[in-house]
Amino acid sequence: MSIALKELLYKMADDQLILGHRNSEWTGMGPLLEEDIAFSSMAQDKVGQSLALYTLLNQLGESDPDTIAFTRNANQFHNCVLVELPNQEYDFSLIRHFLFDTAEALRFEMLTRSSYEPLAQLATKIRGELRYHTLHANTWIKQLGSATPESIGRLQKSLDYAIPYALGIFEASPHEDDLIKSGVFEGEQKLKEKWMAKVESIITQTSLHLPDWNLAQPLFGGRQGKHSEHLQPLLDEMSEVFKIDPTAEW
Amino acid sequence: MASLDPRVNRLPAIAESVSPKAPLDQFGTFEVFVQPKEGKPFQHEGIVHAPNLEMAYVLAKEAFTRRFTCTTLYVVDTREVFASPMTEGEKNSYDFIEDVPAEGGAKVSFEIYHLTKRGKQHMHVGSVKAGSPREAMVLAKVKFNTSKVVYNVWAIESDKIRFTSEEEKELWLTLPEKKFRDASDYKGGDKLKDFLERQN
Amino acid sequence: MYGGGNTFEGIKTDSIALEDPIKLAEFEARIARGEKIEPSDWMPQLYRKQLIRMIEQHAHSEIIGALPEGTWITRAPGFKRKMSLMAKVQDEVGHGQLLYSAAETLGKPREQMIEDLINGKSKYSNIFNYPTFTWADCCFISWLVDAGAIVNQLANAKGSYGPYCRALDRICAEESFHLKYGHHCVIYLASGTAKQRQMFQEALNRWWPPMMHFFGPSDKISAHTEVLMRWKVKMGTNDDMRNQFLDMYVPKIWELGFTIPDPNLKKNPETGRWDYTEPDWEEFKRVINGDGPCNKERLEVRRIAEERGRWVREALKTSKTAYVTPLA
Repeated sequence: MSIALKELLYKMADDQLILGHRNSEWTGMGPLLEEDIAFSSMAQDKVGQSLALYTLLNQLGESDPDTIAFTRNANQFHNCVLVELPNQEYDFSLIRHFLFDTAEALRFEMLTRSSYEPLAQLATKIRGELRYHTLHANTWIKQLGSATPESIGRLQKSLDYAIPYALGIFEASPHEDDLIKSGVFEGEQKLKEKWMAKVESIITQTSLHLPDWNLAQPLFGGRQGKHSEHLQPLLDEMSEVFKIDPTAEW
Repeated sequence: MASLDPRVNRLPAIAESVSPKAPLDQFGTFEVFVQPKEGKPFQHEGIVHAPNLEMAYVLAKEAFTRRFTCTTLYVVDTREVFASPMTEGEKNSYDFIEDVPAEGGAKVSFEIYHLTKRGKQHMHVGSVKAGSPREAMVLAKVKFNTSKVVYNVWAIESDKIRFTSEEEKELWLTLPEKKFRDASDYKGGDKLKDFLERQN
Repeated sequence: MYGGGNTFEGIKTDSIALEDPIKLAEFEARIARGEKIEPSDWMPQLYRKQLIRMIEQHAHSEIIGALPEGTWITRAPGFKRKMSLMAKVQDEVGHGQLLYSAAETLGKPREQMIEDLINGKSKYSNIFNYPTFTWADCCFISWLVDAGAIVNQLANAKGSYGPYCRALDRICAEESFHLKYGHHCVIYLASGTAKQRQMFQEALNRWWPPMMHFFGPSDKISAHTEVLMRWKVKMGTNDDMRNQFLDMYVPKIWELGFTIPDPNLKKNPETGRWDYTEPDWEEFKRVINGDGPCNKERLEVRRIAEERGRWVREALKTSKTAYVTPLA
């Protein structure tokens, strides 16, 4: 059981850390001042959530959070590829935020019922943060997704590009059955179904359209440590100072 | 651009714009009110610029309540705020509000705010039911004008406000735990003491 | 983060003579009594103009000030620093937002101020035109540039304009985290490895001259600001602010065993004030006028950010809401 649980915690923590890191790149460069602040807060929440998950891993015998986060190589990371992609323009960053955070909020909502008590507690605790993230994402998508031809066109293009990667969020774990049977997590398939319904319910309120789910090809690999060319440079940059002397206290 | 900032090095090259921004190319103005603690009055905190009330709410949340304590907040279009004349010294703003005959028709709720010290914030004092903002001011004078001098009164129709719903109050659930935004989380004293002792 | 200094160069007081003498007397009496001025009050044109100029520069300094520290936002070492630095840089943007709003109450819309920033028409604090080569430079800013800004902001918070005071009260409360965080970072560098100590010493060597510039030209050469002092727009002279900063922070820097690169720096027991090598005011002027190491990049980044965000703002524009001047 421990292996399955750790795998779940690792992929969730890595997702949150890498996306938090990506989103933090917008701090000071956002499209309007108030949004700059809001987006940065959510990036901080994500990094904070990853820290909480790495702390759970630490309690299960893994290294301390700083070592886990700042010294592994790309092939040791289990995040989905979606979160490591470069920010590009704000349309893509927003679409990714919407697609990922919708899944994340649903995942944690399911995990409030987890048999692994510390995870259930964490999921319950951060529900307010997740509520804000989805409120923010939904409000923006509804707004820009029905505004001007340019904003609709940009969001549609980013949505089309992101969907296969977003489906990669739900890449099944080799331990899927264990997790479900032991009541730790209800499984990626169930999460994916909830996610599709939720995404549809928002997108149908806009001028955007979703691809035919049956034809969309998920891009898998991230969960097994197979990443795009973008992750290793991100990690090198993130750990540049830390690695000047990993034994030093910064 | 070769920058020390890796983020800057990733920025796309963008040509000089051909169409300069129109001078007033900006969004509406929305006033933000925050309740710092349960049982405390709402106080005016400032403004956000946003294209509509809902966006203003979403943007105000992190602009004004990411630090310190907050139980809930609300926002309203600045154009919905009716203000009395600003006074000073011993002059009470309520004394400049003329009585108007009670108006017929439907009464709606208005939220009332006082400024009791120049340079400080407007604070919520309660609500009245009135047929117009003017009538609301008159009713507020009866209900809230005590011995303390009030320098400015605001009246806002309650229905124009984007309140926080009961379920949304959980938005601030983890705020007290975000210690990394708090000075108290950066105690370097012991480290400094060790260091100084090592020097001697 | 704001140091002042360049705000009041070349002010012309001629316009005061054209003001209504009765209203002017009431206005001055109100300030003398210690009352705040609120946006709906009558005020002299010069007061309005200089306040807009000062608060706008302050706001720009926050927005531009987010960039030198932002340089290290993706590289902060460890979880604690990563989250702190994100929050710290975010606060600077937040302070910009608050300050623009305060300036807007005087009648200049935010977009116009941002436009003037990008076009180089309005200034911002000179110190942000210097590069942050290492993590230690970033720590220098978080601790000492913020410390300098707090000296200035605490003074300005006692000024006469209500909306600026309200913004500064909030900003000063938020800055207490910056100062503690910055000092914490530097204590860790100071008590760390030889390499870490060296990093901070080098940063200190680089940043000391701009830090001395931060409070603006020496009183001996700076513009006459008597009327602005009377109106409580300017709350202390540049040299007073600089001296206050030195008083509070030089001992703390020395305590950590670092060397401040000015052999003449010492407290004069007779005057009770600090003696130091006169900063190079020619360099200060040169950098303020655009010829610093990073002026071009700072404005270019701001311009690109604006341009990239343009489609977002265009898409959100609607006739259902209208820009109006904030109330307070």
